[in-house]
Amino acid sequence: MSHEVEILLVEDSPEDAELTIRALRRNKLVNEIHLAEDGVEALDFLFCRGAHADRTFSCPPKLVLLDLKLPKVGGIEVLRAIRADERTKAIPVVVLTSSKEEKDLIDGYKLGVNAYAQKPVDFEQFSETVRQIGMFWMLINQAPPSGAFVASAARGA
Amino acid sequence: MSNEVETLLVEDSPEDAELTIRALRRNKLANEIHVAEDGTDALDFLFCRGAYADRTFSHPPKLVLLDLHLPKVDGMEVLRALRADERTKAIPVVVLTSSFEQEDVAAGYKLGASAYVQKPVDFEGFSEAVRQIGMFWLLINQALPPGEFTASKAHGV
Amino acid sequence: MTSSSKAIAACALLILVCIGTLSYWSEVRNDQDREWVTHTLHVVEKLQTLRIDITQCETGQRGYMLTGQDRYLELYEAGVAEVRQDLKELPDLTADNPREQRAIRQLNPLIASRLAELNDGIWVRKESGLLAGVEAATRANNGEKWMGQIAAQIGEMRDTEAGLLSSRLETAAASTRKIKVVIALGNALAILILLVKYFVIQREIGKRNLAERSLKLSNERLERRTAELSETNIELESFAYSVAHDLRAPLRHIAGYSGVMVQDYGPHLDAEGLRCLEKITGSAKQMGRLVDDLLGLSQIGRQELSFQDTPLGSLVGQVVEDLAAEHAGRSVEWQIGELFSAECDPGLMKQVFVNLLSNAVKYTRKREHAVIQVGQTRQNGVRVVFVRDNGVGFEMQYVGKLFRVFQRLHKARDFEGTGVGLATVQRIIRRHGGRIWAEAELDRGATFFFTLGSPENKPNEQAEVPMNEKDERERRKKKMNEKEEELHVERS
Repeated sequence: MSHEVEILLVEDSPEDAELTIRALRRNKLVNEIHLAEDGVEALDFLFCRGAHADRTFSCPPKLVLLDLKLPKVGGIEVLRAIRADERTKAIPVVVLTSSKEEKDLIDGYKLGVNAYAQKPVDFEQFSETVRQIGMFWMLINQAPPSGAFVASAARGA
Repeated sequence: MSNEVETLLVEDSPEDAELTIRALRRNKLANEIHVAEDGTDALDFLFCRGAYADRTFSHPPKLVLLDLHLPKVDGMEVLRALRADERTKAIPVVVLTSSFEQEDVAAGYKLGASAYVQKPVDFEGFSEAVRQIGMFWLLINQALPPGEFTASKAHGV
Repeated sequence: MTSSSKAIAACALLILVCIGTLSYWSEVRNDQDREWVTHTLHVVEKLQTLRIDITQCETGQRGYMLTGQDRYLELYEAGVAEVRQDLKELPDLTADNPREQRAIRQLNPLIASRLAELNDGIWVRKESGLLAGVEAATRANNGEKWMGQIAAQIGEMRDTEAGLLSSRLETAAASTRKIKVVIALGNALAILILLVKYFVIQREIGKRNLAERSLKLSNERLERRTAELSETNIELESFAYSVAHDLRAPLRHIAGYSGVMVQDYGPHLDAEGLRCLEKITGSAKQMGRLVDDLLGLSQIGRQELSFQDTPLGSLVGQVVEDLAAEHAGRSVEWQIGELFSAECDPGLMKQVFVNLLSNAVKYTRKREHAVIQVGQTRQNGVRVVFVRDNGVGFEMQYVGKLFRVFQRLHKARDFEGTGVGLATVQRIIRRHGGRIWAEAELDRGATFFFTLGSPENKPNEQAEVPMNEKDERERRKKKMNEKEEELHVERS
């Protein structure tokens, strides 16, 4: 990994993935996007294991765009795993899902998701939504520094 | 106090408050903004007590814009209190501060801030940042629907 | 041991050796004296023996003369033999004394004469019988005379010997006394010297203890001073940080309300009014940049570094990409050579390249075709990274100011900037244990070189010792005044 991955896009639908990546790239919002097509790959990536054993915890992505309906391990489980470990807990996670289920919304917030967005059906709106997401999370938001991923006994978090 | 407040702006500087509201307003994002000038006021508001005893937990603001350096109770304490209580845990909180300190950014995320934005000095940058915050958090982000905050206790996740 | 101490020790040793020698010599003298005493006693004894033996001769002869008995003859002959023996031994005994020898020489004939007389008497008796013998004996009344002389002589000799002995003994006693005094004094002196040495040593120990204590004190003072300095340093950094931090809010308000004026009252203002507002906004922005750069600079001193093995080439690549927008529409050629991997903090090292490369981009603005090179070279066996541009360069006589905070070598109207970028770069390089320097020629371009500390030398993690605060303030004031002048010039 020579360049830091800025966005981890966890998306099993190739079409949605392509649209998302295009929308982000076109607005020059991001250079490095990594696509994980299921929950297992996403977790391997974030936890620096398996095929991604060469990654380090000190270089997390600035944002995880997380679909919920995933094969193998689902989005909520991925979120739970991310929030359960000090080394990954502070990574910003924005759920980007077609699901309109309230339960998913509630579970997401319960597990500490940063934000939750629904994928619009309309293509234009979809692009716009992705653009807004990119604008805020890549340009305006301050990603957590490496100090946020270290277990601290002092602060009660 | 109205239950319809969308945005709680916790900001002790009247100038910064005015400029922020102005930026939101110009982008038509300024429905129902309430300003709390210190941490105590903010907590009273969010916990429906004191001067805000007529508020209810089931109608939290869609967004809390939280400055860090506040008189009385400071921003980190507000954040900590918010995330410690089931009834307020899921409210989106965007830290909006002058602080550049990496420690503050790390601490903010560890305490469960949804996002962290540094106030730019120049007018355009500031306006743009506020606009993007408003666009994402008030238009794109899906907050928990009203009534769900207290109900979420019942869902065992 | 100091040389004086050695001298003292040598003295004491010498004295002890002297005393030892004296004692030994005294002993020898005593032995000699004892020998003399013995010797004298021998002599006296021998003289006595001689007298007795002579008396024995007399007695024997008289006895024979009277009785004619052999036993008296034997007595006489034994006595004669003894006397002869004595006379033989005496000279040996008194060999050292010429006076005695003379006396013996005087004695010998006397004794010889007497013996001869006695012998005559015996011969007469033997030959002629009793009466003749008695007659002979009576006739020889020299006997008394001889005996008297012999006795006197012997007595004299004895007295001499006794006198000699007593005077010798007295001398011996005197010299023994003297020696005793000398030994006593010598011992006293030696003890004194040793005492002195002892005190000298004590003093030296005292001095050393004092020196040790004062060293410890000055070490403690040094440590305290160092602690104070680094505390002051941290305070200064925090001060710089909080000043910069607290300045941002009002700046934002200045810029903000100016912007509001433009937005809300722009249409009501004439061109001049709008221009003034622009100035206000522009100045606030410039100050904002200064403050942000200062904040960045102060953070570097306080930040914790996280060292990783980083390929510098990839950092450069990222920065070049990020800078693409800055020189859009210009002809800029990037020549990026091979760069090594280094143990460094990637975030800060990227900042270094951002500053150096954006400077290169900025200062080549007036060139038709800008060429920016980044590569590595070796100087004195150490790997050096360089960034070279063909821009406006600068005069080498000002190179000392290059890395100072707020120092600029170009007019603000020609090239905008805060004068903090290179100071930031230098600080980062220094925190990596490296060194940065530059070479340039006016209007030909500039090259910046830097090294990074080798992994073995762990860089100094502490923030740099701040310049004297008063100097810093004055320098800053001077720079601010210079800047104001520049702005004045701009306006006119």
